[in-house]
Amino acid sequence: MKPAAFEYVRPTTLAEALAALDHDDAKLLAGGQSLVPMMNFRLVQPERIVDINHVAELRGIVEDGDAVRIGALTRHAEAARDPLLARMLPVVAEAMANVAHVAIRNRGTIGGSLCHADPSAEWPLLTVLLDASIDIASAAGRRSEPGDGFFIAPLVTALEDGEIVVAVRVPRPAPGTGMAFLEVAQRAGDFAAAAAGATVRLDGDRIVEARLALGGVADAPMRLAAIEAALAGADRRDIADAVADAAADLEPNDDMHASADYRRRLIPVLARRALERAAERSSTLAMVK
Amino acid sequence: MTDALALAPVETVRPKYIGKPVQRLEDPRLLAGAGRYTADIQLDRMLHLAFVRADQAHAEIRAIDTNAAAAMPGVVAVLTAADFADVADLVATSRMQTYNATHCPLLARDRVRYVGEAVAIVVAADRYRAEDAAAAIAVDYAPLAAAIDPAAALAPGAPQLHPEVPGNLVLEREFRTGDAAAAIAEAAHVVEGTFRLARKSPLAIETRAYVADYDRGRDAITLFSSTQIPGVVRDALASLLHLPGNRLRVVAPDVGGGFGGKGSLYVEEVIVAALARRLERPVKYVGDRLEDLTSTSQGFDEVVEARLGLDAEGRFVALEAEVIGDIGAYSIYPWTAALEPVQVVSFLPGPYRIAAYRGRVRAATTPKPPTGPYRGVGRPMAVFALERLVDMAAVRLGLPPDEIRRRNLVRPEDFPFRIGSGIRWDRSGFLECLDAASVAADLTEFRRRQAEARAAGRWLGIGFASYAELTGIGSRIAVAPGMPINTGSETATIRIDATGAVTATFAMASHGQSLETTLAQIVAEELGVRPQDVAVVQGDTDAAAHGTGTYASRSAVIGGGAAIRATRTLLGKVKAAAALLFDVDPAEVETGDGVIFVPGTNHRIDFADLARAVYSDMAALPHDARATLEAQESFDPRLGTTTSATHLAEVEIDAETLAIRLTRFFVAEDCGRMINPLVVDGQVHGGVVQGIGVALLEELQFDETGQILSASLADYLIPTAAEVPSLGVAHLETELPANPGGFRGMGEGGTIGAPAAIANAVSDAVAHLGVGVATLPITPSKLARLLADNEKE
Ligand SMILES: Cc1cc2nc3c(=O)[nH]c(=O)nc-3n(C[C@H](O)[C@H](O)[C@H](O)COP(=O)(O)OP(=O)(O)OC[C@H]3O[C@@H](n4cnc5c(N)ncnc54)[C@H](O)[C@@H]3O)c2cc1C
Repeated sequence: MKPAAFEYVRPTTLAEALAALDHDDAKLLAGGQSLVPMMNFRLVQPERIVDINHVAELRGIVEDGDAVRIGALTRHAEAARDPLLARMLPVVAEAMANVAHVAIRNRGTIGGSLCHADPSAEWPLLTVLLDASIDIASAAGRRSEPGDGFFIAPLVTALEDGEIVVAVRVPRPAPGTGMAFLEVAQRAGDFAAAAAGATVRLDGDRIVEARLALGGVADAPMRLAAIEAALAGADRRDIADAVADAAADLEPNDDMHASADYRRRLIPVLARRALERAAERSSTLAMVK
Repeated sequence: MTDALALAPVETVRPKYIGKPVQRLEDPRLLAGAGRYTADIQLDRMLHLAFVRADQAHAEIRAIDTNAAAAMPGVVAVLTAADFADVADLVATSRMQTYNATHCPLLARDRVRYVGEAVAIVVAADRYRAEDAAAAIAVDYAPLAAAIDPAAALAPGAPQLHPEVPGNLVLEREFRTGDAAAAIAEAAHVVEGTFRLARKSPLAIETRAYVADYDRGRDAITLFSSTQIPGVVRDALASLLHLPGNRLRVVAPDVGGGFGGKGSLYVEEVIVAALARRLERPVKYVGDRLEDLTSTSQGFDEVVEARLGLDAEGRFVALEAEVIGDIGAYSIYPWTAALEPVQVVSFLPGPYRIAAYRGRVRAATTPKPPTGPYRGVGRPMAVFALERLVDMAAVRLGLPPDEIRRRNLVRPEDFPFRIGSGIRWDRSGFLECLDAASVAADLTEFRRRQAEARAAGRWLGIGFASYAELTGIGSRIAVAPGMPINTGSETATIRIDATGAVTATFAMASHGQSLETTLAQIVAEELGVRPQDVAVVQGDTDAAAHGTGTYASRSAVIGGGAAIRATRTLLGKVKAAAALLFDVDPAEVETGDGVIFVPGTNHRIDFADLARAVYSDMAALPHDARATLEAQESFDPRLGTTTSATHLAEVEIDAETLAIRLTRFFVAEDCGRMINPLVVDGQVHGGVVQGIGVALLEELQFDETGQILSASLADYLIPTAAEVPSLGVAHLETELPANPGGFRGMGEGGTIGAPAAIANAVSDAVAHLGVGVATLPITPSKLARLLADNEKE
């Protein structure tokens, strides 16, 4: 289990990284937690590895107008303990606790997780849930891709050759928004059999706005627009009814650890629990105010 | 006189070390990264191996193109089966008449028989280049028909895996006492089921690794091997490579776990040794995790169809079982494929009084990796099947799970007790362990909590499992039925050298059992020194004439017994020499804490003084009294001794997600006299954690063509700390067995009881839904399937 030979390049600026990436068969190396195992299995054998760990422009979590900008090289563990995120997007820390194990969270990055695009991974689900957009740089310039357009299939994204994810931009949620993330995995730290994220903003017991995203149940994380629409204006006690058929139109994967039927069983349960927990938090926020 | 008064008062009571929680003496080395594992060994001019392994389960090898690989940079040699024509196949023989041996070539000759079987080898300057070249070797296969399922393999007309194994039937064995069928026909109640334990990997943290060094001047090979059985490996290599044992040394350095997976002879270690001699250079092979999951021997994989008959009061009257074991592609050396499946039927009647028994096992060869010893051998399956039947019977009769066991366990007055398969239990705390577990369970309070939780959408369940096992097996019983190798004795050599230091040498091979501590405690207590003063040498065939290794819960009983005997002989020599120096009778001499003294006198020297007197000082002792301070004694317990336990598990299941959480685990066990309670706890904890894996997580899966689906740790799931509750262990000591130390073996029990206890707990949690567990591991996804199937019916 040794990788095939490769050329190793370690740029220190984004411009250098983009230049190094201008090669027939180059791959970026971020935390290496997904790429290196694949190289060791020789599932991928890139000729050139461009290690972006020393590119300062890819780091940092900052407020940027009405959004928070999370640099692509942010480690899962850094995001989990960041005070700005804890204040604005507490769901990030809640989700990060489910990502793998301590050592992997210390190395793995948000950019790597988004580009690896595992359908069960936490960051892609959060990106879709929170209407985040992804900032991308290439030799040709910069562009931004909305989260829900970025994830195409397992390990396939809208990223083109020669492009680097620079940051994720998450809009500031409306005041009083409660958020929740939960998942079911066979062991602590495993990729989820199914995961759900929700945001709910209440006015009394009335739901002003609800968002629901699922992971692990399709080729990419997804929003459940019909349920969100049904919940807008509904009473928070209607959540269970609204999600009862959440699995009806889905065709979740069947794998060794979780059958499609089992996933179908999990979907309404996780959806309900995430929404109810988010609603509860929204109501707590209202009380605190 | 004044001199004598100035001395500290002489102790008369020697400190006791056996039974004390002495900190592990190997830990400072191992925990600080100063251990020396096989992979750590670097030798000058060392070459590295990579294997090309079969990617098909059953296929004819039409051609192997090695030309491109041979021409690659850094490649020294590329070899295939033809290059090893001078080395015989590995053939595990047996005296069992119904047994058909298989022939396992070092490299697949004209056929491959499992995905992972070694087909070709690249020898190169480093492992990277070796793997580059291995990837360039093209093997042309013609697929052959295969029966992947063991029952299908035994069906008439099934494709044959080995010409020498007709009908793919490697062995068949039946045990019979009384007329079980008739007794079941007349029984007041009968419970039955078909139980299955999935195939499991031993999965030691350290993968298998071998380094061979060749001494051209002496034509001698030293093989460093991550093995549990250096003695068996040495003896086998001697005959395979035609070298005498004095030019063939097998050393097991620090070994990072074995669990049975390093308890057999592997083709890779023969190849590494043979190549070092052929190439006249050191050769190294370190298996990776993919190779570990596909080519290290695997465990279990049986289907047990069993019926238990009871009378109206819930007493067991008869037990019947039909077992099919899937032993994989080859019968493993030296144990043979009989080891695991035959143990299932030998141990099935368990710790209970069951008058009539019939158990038949058939073992099928299929194109999967060979099975071999795995912690618990046969008994995890046997205990799982029987203990499920016991709980099913309890439900049927409306008896609490502890009560039905109490009515049927072998009672103190029944020992020695012979079960229907012929195994003889000596006195052990069967009922005492059950009682301790039953107190810990507090069933009345549990049933109250269970009802309360059920109303809140949480299903609680409780499960018991009682078992007995035979440990420290002597030469009258073969560890594996019919195997022609004696594993029943051990020899200890204890030596005091010229500096007064104590070295205790054994042929065993600790790979996590803490033998460096426990054997040192024994020698220290018997000789009168401190444990940290005793160096334990083991795992080196040059240090002992004969020995096999460490497995089958034997080392404490047999090695510990030999240690006691040898130390007592040595102590006699120490006292005799000291008596001459002190001019007293030897019976007056005592030792303790490194001091040799006569109580109530000022005669007091340390072991260094004595060694100087015996070895160096030519005047201290008469010439004919200067005997070497060394003793060697063997111990063979002839039979085995019985260890017993009751395990208790509690689970909580989320009624919606079906997530299963083990919330409590308790073990009450009787392993005789404990040498070191820390070590006993550690062994129980480790075994239970592996049992948790068996019950809830671990499964090697194969598709219908024999491809392995769980070939990485992303798919083969093992328990982590997060899946393990705090474990309670109660040690009971009933009557001590009649061996020198009063020890019973306890290295495997954790894995024997835990799967059954957890299966019973999960079954109890979902009993109100009309389902129960018959296959392990049980996962949330499989539980969902059980519930859905039950609803459909
Ligand atoms: C045992 C284990 C368990 C795990 N469990 C989970 C889990 O439960 N949930 C979860 O979400 N993840 C899990 N992971 C994956 C982990 O979170 C990885 O860190 C993550 O998927 C990839 O991040 P990375 O920084 O390590 O990326 P790398 O492995 O370095 O790269 C992954 C891919 O992304 C590309 N890439 C990296 N950065 C960029 C960038 N800025 N722009 C463009 N392309 C880029 C790389 O070229 C590569 O193709 C697990 C990993 C392991 C080993």
